[in-house]
Amino acid sequence: MGRFVVHRAAQAAVVVVLVTVVTFLLLHALPGGPARGILGLKATRIQIEQFDKANGFDESLPQQYWSYLVRLLHGNLGTSYKLNQSVSSLLVERVPKTLLLTAMSTAVALFVAVPLGVWQALHRHRVGDHVTSSLALIGYATPTFFLALVLVIVFAEKWPLLPPEAPQGTSISSLLAHFSGLVLPIVTGAVTTLAAFSRYVRSSVLDNLAEDYVRTARAKGVSERRVVWIHVLRNSLTSLVALLGYYLPVLFGGAVVVESIYNYPGVGLLFWNAAQQSDYPVLLGVVLVISVATVVGSLAADLAQAAIDPRVRGALR
Amino acid sequence: MRTTAPAGGVPRRAERRRRPSTAQLAAALGTGALLLGGLGAGSATAARAAHASRGATVTFAEPPDATPNAIFPIATAGNTAAYNSAIQAELYVPLTFYDATSGKLAFDQRASVAKSIVYSDGDKTVTVTLEKLKWSDGTPVTSRDVQFFFNLVKANKDKWANYVAGQFPDNVATFTIVNPSTFRLRLTTSVNPLWFSGNELSLVTPLPQQAWDVESASGKVGNYDLTTSGAKAVFDYLNGQDNHLATFGTNKLWKVTDGPFTLGSWTTGGAVTLEKSSTYDGPDAAHLSSVQLLPFTSADAEFNVLRSGGLDYGYVPTSDLSQSKFLESKGYTIKPWNGWAINYSPYNFNNPVLGSTLKQLYVRQALQMAIDQPAISKAVWQGEAAPVYGPVPQSPPSPYLSATQKANPYPFNPSKAKRLLESHGWKIGTNGLMTCKSAGTGASQCGAGVKAGTVLDLHMLSESGSTQTTNQMEVMQSELASIGVGFQASYAPLNTVLSETAQCKPTQASCSWQMSFFGTQGSWYFSPSPNGDPLFASTGSANFGSYDSPVADKLAVAATTSSNPAALRAWSAYLAVQLPAMWLPLPAYQVSAIKDNLKGVSQDPLAGQTIQRWYLANG
Repeated sequence: MGRFVVHRAAQAAVVVVLVTVVTFLLLHALPGGPARGILGLKATRIQIEQFDKANGFDESLPQQYWSYLVRLLHGNLGTSYKLNQSVSSLLVERVPKTLLLTAMSTAVALFVAVPLGVWQALHRHRVGDHVTSSLALIGYATPTFFLALVLVIVFAEKWPLLPPEAPQGTSISSLLAHFSGLVLPIVTGAVTTLAAFSRYVRSSVLDNLAEDYVRTARAKGVSERRVVWIHVLRNSLTSLVALLGYYLPVLFGGAVVVESIYNYPGVGLLFWNAAQQSDYPVLLGVVLVISVATVVGSLAADLAQAAIDPRVRGALR
Repeated sequence: MRTTAPAGGVPRRAERRRRPSTAQLAAALGTGALLLGGLGAGSATAARAAHASRGATVTFAEPPDATPNAIFPIATAGNTAAYNSAIQAELYVPLTFYDATSGKLAFDQRASVAKSIVYSDGDKTVTVTLEKLKWSDGTPVTSRDVQFFFNLVKANKDKWANYVAGQFPDNVATFTIVNPSTFRLRLTTSVNPLWFSGNELSLVTPLPQQAWDVESASGKVGNYDLTTSGAKAVFDYLNGQDNHLATFGTNKLWKVTDGPFTLGSWTTGGAVTLEKSSTYDGPDAAHLSSVQLLPFTSADAEFNVLRSGGLDYGYVPTSDLSQSKFLESKGYTIKPWNGWAINYSPYNFNNPVLGSTLKQLYVRQALQMAIDQPAISKAVWQGEAAPVYGPVPQSPPSPYLSATQKANPYPFNPSKAKRLLESHGWKIGTNGLMTCKSAGTGASQCGAGVKAGTVLDLHMLSESGSTQTTNQMEVMQSELASIGVGFQASYAPLNTVLSETAQCKPTQASCSWQMSFFGTQGSWYFSPSPNGDPLFASTGSANFGSYDSPVADKLAVAATTSSNPAALRAWSAYLAVQLPAMWLPLPAYQVSAIKDNLKGVSQDPLAGQTIQRWYLANG
């Protein structure tokens, strides 16, 4: 197991470096560069040249990348052209916000989706299954921005029970102190995830219910409740755990639409706006965080699967 | 209980009845807990609104995705946004402030440090007398504070975002302090006083020399700015402090102000609170005790809060203008905020394919006459855009607008446009597009450089993200098609459009753009005197399409140096006829929604704000 972890960590480091190379090259292949957008229409040619020089754009690409790597190894992710703040401070401020929102949305989605998926599997092809499956598909197919606007109109305007925007604090405690503001963003984020998860659990439970070990358990007189909720569910969740591992970058990446409509400036929106404004340091910083989250997530998924499933554990040895 | 299940694992009926309750309960609990948790905590928006109605605080929506990011009034690259300047002007009174609160653009002395500006010596000497103001530490605002600003920008002009070679401070030969309330500038050349006061002195902000003339946090205040190296060190220190947004609210530097407001707080997310200054003793004191400037991630996010009544002063996205009546029923007044600006789409006269064609005045005339600006304004922009007929803003009224431009030299007339092309050797080809059939320079031929077989098929690079802009492009496509001109638009983020709309030579790969549009909120916002120098002058930095006219150059120079507005009118008339770009309707800077009880708001076309004059009618 130890060798496996070391091996995967080494792989992860290589992947992260490759991601930064590809991102760096793609960004610099874009036409124009950021100067005109940052400095505005009234910038003179001299000002643009000075901006390019100050930011190293007058150097060759390998030189620029090397400078970036050196800064990175010193913990310096650069400064946002647009926001006049260091990228690290932006990430420190926004990553926890995004994690809070997406983690809570995912938790709510799981809390509902797991029992719902099991129930659907147990009632396969019955009216209830069709109804909940249809609702899940509707939820999955509903555009997030539309759902968000409907929720705002219903719960913030028609019946003004909840705020139409998320809390504006910068710390987790200040966000939680105004929890009412998080309700609509969490529900919006949860609905589409919930639909996907419940479909996944349903299918996985159905597969497991057809396995020999279920028949054996039943033949041995194990109660149906125990068969379903202990044996079948545990085996069904192994694949869900893997899915959640790969879901980690989504937790970091955030949901651009939810953040945009509920005035919740998280990482997703930071990335989107940086892309619009060619804010290279921010783009590279966010890509770095998400790529690290991706490789860590996949590693965590493998380890979690090994912890749950002895067969996987054996394979890793 | 032991159960048996058929293949496929469907349990018995008794089991089925119980299971749904688990799932449903979980679903209900999950959603219910969230909703209940939220209900108990109350509404932040309601709290905002209630707070404002007590008269203590007014809430103002910043533009979507705008994050005020600089407090130091000497703006460096990337920090020149209007919302930064607006906040800074409330804390640090500018030397001259121009606005249109009087109905026309004029010097607003109450919002300025300058009390009088006298030009002499053939407009080569400027003597400025200052208003009696004091800094919040009790020190009077003096000529030395203006000199401090001057020295800092002179020593650091390469870092000052407003610097244009040859203009301020290059055009100031000497700065002389006559006495604490008067200083004199000896200029290198005679200037147009309107231009110099409006466009140059308005860039100057007296700074608290007695507090800011330091080289480090632990250093003592001195007169370091009097030497170039000292001025550089002071600038670097102050600019460095300007890069720490999180400390703006607590940094003692920024506590020394002379404006009607002081800084209450400034978050890294862009929320800024201004509080009425208790030490301001000038003629323009604030009425409100505090004003909150709130950031929004998107126009939708802002509009959601606005609809809930959570803002005193917000804006209506153009796509939501149909909801104006609803907002009015909630106690808002809807008002367009029109800018001192023009809107246009530059032609690339150096484009290797159509550059020569676009250089023909008759072609530009035909294209302009094919565009129905009033109809686009009404149908696409729902009436919140105004036609543009030349290089000078059409409104508010000004002495710079020529009669020629005002009268619209090229009203919508597609049949005349088509005839004009046909009379110059163009005919509709088999592809349905105008094709040059008669190359040459004769009166009935296509013109110099236009090859036979050239097809009038234009490509527009337009900014993305606006339904109205997309709709406008579609209308333009349809209108141009009616005279046989092809028109395809492609879309990219504004930043990409600006980057690609670069001056170029025909041989360069970057010269492939033919037309571009970056005017969803107006293409070009002018300083008080719209001399247009960099816009269509052959050497102008913003002459994106490489328009080259010696006559226009001469008129632009005259407009800069002459004190007679007729010089600018001549420039206006000439370019209105010559069409260096395609004039397009100018959308409002924003359509504002202002609470009925919020008074004293003037939506300055120069995008400045006099927040100190706002008050609540029931306050």
